Amino acid sequence: MSTIVQIEPKKAPIPKDKIPRLLLVGNPNVGKSVIFGYLTGKYVTVSNYPGTTVEVSRGKMKYGGQEWEVVDTPGVNSLAPQSDDERVTRDMLLDAEPDVIVQVADAKNLRRTLLVTTQLAELKIPMVLVLNMMDEARHRGIEIDSKAIGELFGIPVVTAVATEGEGLYSIFKSIVHAKVPNDPLEVQRNRLLTNEDFLHALKSKTDKPLPLQLAVEWLQTQDSGFRRGAELWLKQVADGELANDAATRTRIRNCAARLEEARNAFLEKSVNQYKKVIPSVFRESSGTGLKIGLVCLLAGLLLFGYTEIGRLIGLPTPYGWLNSLMDRSVIPGALSFFQNIHLGWLGSLLFGKLADDGSTYETGLLYPAITQFLVLIAPIMFPLAFVLRRSERFAERLGHWTRDWRTGAPLMIVILLLMYEFVGVIGAGTLVDALENNVFNVLLTPNLQKLIPAGIFYDFFVGEYGLVSVGLTYALAIVLPIVMTFFIAFGLLEDSGYLPRLAILSDRVFRVMGLNGKAVLPMVLGLGCDTMATMTTRILETKKERLIATILLALGVPCSAQLGVILAISGSLSGWAMLTVFGVVLSQMFLVGYLSSKIVKGKRGDFIFEIPPIRVPVFKNVWTKTRYRMKWYLKEALPLFLLGTLILFVLDRVKVPTPWGRLSGLDMINNSLAPLVTGVLELPEKTAQVLVLGFLRRDYGAAGLYDMVGQGLLTPVQIVVSLIVLTLFIPCVANFFMIVREQGTKKALIILAFITPFAIAVGGVVNLVLRVLKINF
Amino acid sequence: MHNWLSQDIVEVLESVWANEERGSSAVEEISQEAKTEVTEDLLAECEREGYLTRNGGGEIRLTALGRQTAGEIIRRHRLAERLVVDVLGMTLEESEADACEFEHFLAQGVTSAICTLLGHPRFCPHNHPIPEGECCRQIEAQVNSLVASIDRLEVGEEAKVAYVSASNFPRIRKLSSFGITPGVPIKVKQKFPSFVIQCDETQIALENDIARDIYVWRKSNDNQ
Repeated sequence: MSTIVQIEPKKAPIPKDKIPRLLLVGNPNVGKSVIFGYLTGKYVTVSNYPGTTVEVSRGKMKYGGQEWEVVDTPGVNSLAPQSDDERVTRDMLLDAEPDVIVQVADAKNLRRTLLVTTQLAELKIPMVLVLNMMDEARHRGIEIDSKAIGELFGIPVVTAVATEGEGLYSIFKSIVHAKVPNDPLEVQRNRLLTNEDFLHALKSKTDKPLPLQLAVEWLQTQDSGFRRGAELWLKQVADGELANDAATRTRIRNCAARLEEARNAFLEKSVNQYKKVIPSVFRESSGTGLKIGLVCLLAGLLLFGYTEIGRLIGLPTPYGWLNSLMDRSVIPGALSFFQNIHLGWLGSLLFGKLADDGSTYETGLLYPAITQFLVLIAPIMFPLAFVLRRSERFAERLGHWTRDWRTGAPLMIVILLLMYEFVGVIGAGTLVDALENNVFNVLLTPNLQKLIPAGIFYDFFVGEYGLVSVGLTYALAIVLPIVMTFFIAFGLLEDSGYLPRLAILSDRVFRVMGLNGKAVLPMVLGLGCDTMATMTTRILETKKERLIATILLALGVPCSAQLGVILAISGSLSGWAMLTVFGVVLSQMFLVGYLSSKIVKGKRGDFIFEIPPIRVPVFKNVWTKTRYRMKWYLKEALPLFLLGTLILFVLDRVKVPTPWGRLSGLDMINNSLAPLVTGVLELPEKTAQVLVLGFLRRDYGAAGLYDMVGQGLLTPVQIVVSLIVLTLFIPCVANFFMIVREQGTKKALIILAFITPFAIAVGGVVNLVLRVLKINF
Repeated sequence: MHNWLSQDIVEVLESVWANEERGSSAVEEISQEAKTEVTEDLLAECEREGYLTRNGGGEIRLTALGRQTAGEIIRRHRLAERLVVDVLGMTLEESEADACEFEHFLAQGVTSAICTLLGHPRFCPHNHPIPEGECCRQIEAQVNSLVASIDRLEVGEEAKVAYVSASNFPRIRKLSSFGITPGVPIKVKQKFPSFVIQCDETQIALENDIARDIYVWRKSNDNQ
């Protein structure tokens, strides 16, 4: 499926009574979102650009009695598109008819800034240049002659430190002074292009001069679909045709090379002229505060390490101490406070109820989440943010440590453990317990059960396969908290600049599977939601990579809900048993990945990308993204949960006469799967049902398995085998439909037809091996 | 060993090689490509000397001997182009004529010296592959390189980009949008598990394959 957006000719100029539109454009990681947030305030919508996964934020701003629409475009290094992001930005520049462009730039990277400026200059749209992150430039002794740059292009140039609020108001003021930039390369370009006969065709029909250099660059892109779009566009705006033969392609290529040479010379000259570097030592803010911060961070890390190990081998830990302190004095106090103001229910919702053995309080929304946060996450996160804000040198060191494998590997383990504490323990443990036990299984379902008289409606809503008692409960109480905590954690990692470093560390591993390090993004996202991750495989460059990543996601990457249930089940298993489960799943991923890299035709994409500096994430940005992703999840996943439950309900109710008596649809599916499940996998018959459930939603199946384990229906070996089969098994319905959408029906069916028997076969082999070796865990 | 070859035969071998790279072996295209008139006599002579075989359909193929000989000629030619462009700083158009002159001066021993000096480049300025010589397979010869691909640099070493030699244009374009273009100073920050280079104020991660495409002037030899 092509993600190319059709390039259309410019429409008629917009009538002046329309709200003017302002586009924020710039390289990645230059602080566009922060400036966007400042300009627009709180009325912001985030949406995917049509046909892509690229998120685009829109908002409104008011200045001097005039209302503006503000659009935050994805970061670009060049307007000649090489990625989905760059395509979207290019399309928006051409098709969205911006009235003003505000180019946001990293002041210390003048060369890359001016590359984009020269490209924008070709579009002849009024613009303003914002040189952001002046503080980082100053720290490095870089001085930029912003006045001279403004004179060169004839546009307002504003210097700013957006995160500190410095210069933001000047951006407001400069917008009304936006000017169509001078194009410093125009003369040279026209001279270079006059002799190129293929460009004779390109005389603009409109008065506007065509962005010729950009046109040449667009004709050069790797993506044939995009090239066709560019040709179409040229044909429509300009008179005449462009032959698509070898000779023309060679001419375009030569032309592009020479234009590139000319621009490089210009950039080289400008950087030498406008950028001065005064070598200086890092200017660091006061030493004492920094030292205290560093000591706190070290203490936090030690505390974390001690607690993790201590809990594993049963030592008393600060986590235990704090919990018993809370149990003895804080929680009873808080509870009686709420009792006194007649809000007892709120108290127990927040802080939980006394457990049956009277030793601790459980299933509150805040408790024990709060101690988990205080002991394990806060002592690392807060000093880290403090130190990073104070010391650029530390940020640079950390940036180095996280990408060097010797230090990067241990740090990666710490970060993944922190993520596990947040998502697996606080999200999947505490929050799920609280919602399930306070809201759904106590308030909602029992009350509805009292209201609805026994009969078909009772069964439909609150019965064994009821929409509320099962569908809604699973979707909102079990899955939502996990998805939310996961997306918060993912957003924090995304904004901190850590993810590209993860890609560096894992590049070699992914290469075995015909992928490159960039694949780590969909894989990690898959731990949140495989369906969403399947969609983000689009960030991978080649078809081959996208297909392999899709297969691996479907096969082996458990989503957060599923992972949560697996981890919950792991409580009843030994460490070795869990190691077997993960070992088998991982080895199968490698095997299948390796084999598909040999079988699937095509090339692996180039692994090259910018590593942003480590920065402290702005929580507001993270929260906006999380909210958007959760909304997406609810919109896409909740209906599937309900649909899944509905199908189950129908299958359970509709009974058909058969030679073996009246059987429901569910019985028949179970009966036909039963020989496989009992014979090959040696599992109880009821597991078949779990597998069927697993297709409707993988995590939903896992939850069913969790119930079976809870009832003590399975031996440890059986648990291991069924966990492996369930994890490898067919993706959930939503994921399957997403594969159909991304890869086409044929490939999706092949993937399905491969994974199903494969999962059962692997389960069978594992079962056999464990039996033969007499391992019972 | 083939220094006594006639200029005409050299031209024929060169164009047969170039055509094979493009996947063609038609006699018409070879005539078009060659800078000399390809006569029946000339082709017959080449065949007699054991460089070529011809079949009835007008297809021409190199023999093992022809392949070895043509490979050496092509190697010298393309190295000469690199030398003219990278060291003498001429443009692509200017380079063509001069490279032809140089090509004929380069004797066997000088060829490997030039190759070493240029850091064993893998592609000529037109991005055609340069056939490997014996010296390219011996890594220890690297120390004397004036120009080297960045995978041969040490961690912490600073250098200036000489050229990007990728066979596909999008890769060059991509590198240039990250700011990696001729004349730009870079510093190697890390070599494993992936390459990390600092270019201007930006850190860029690359895989080894791409690092091998970026040729730089090494600082210690930088007389520019």
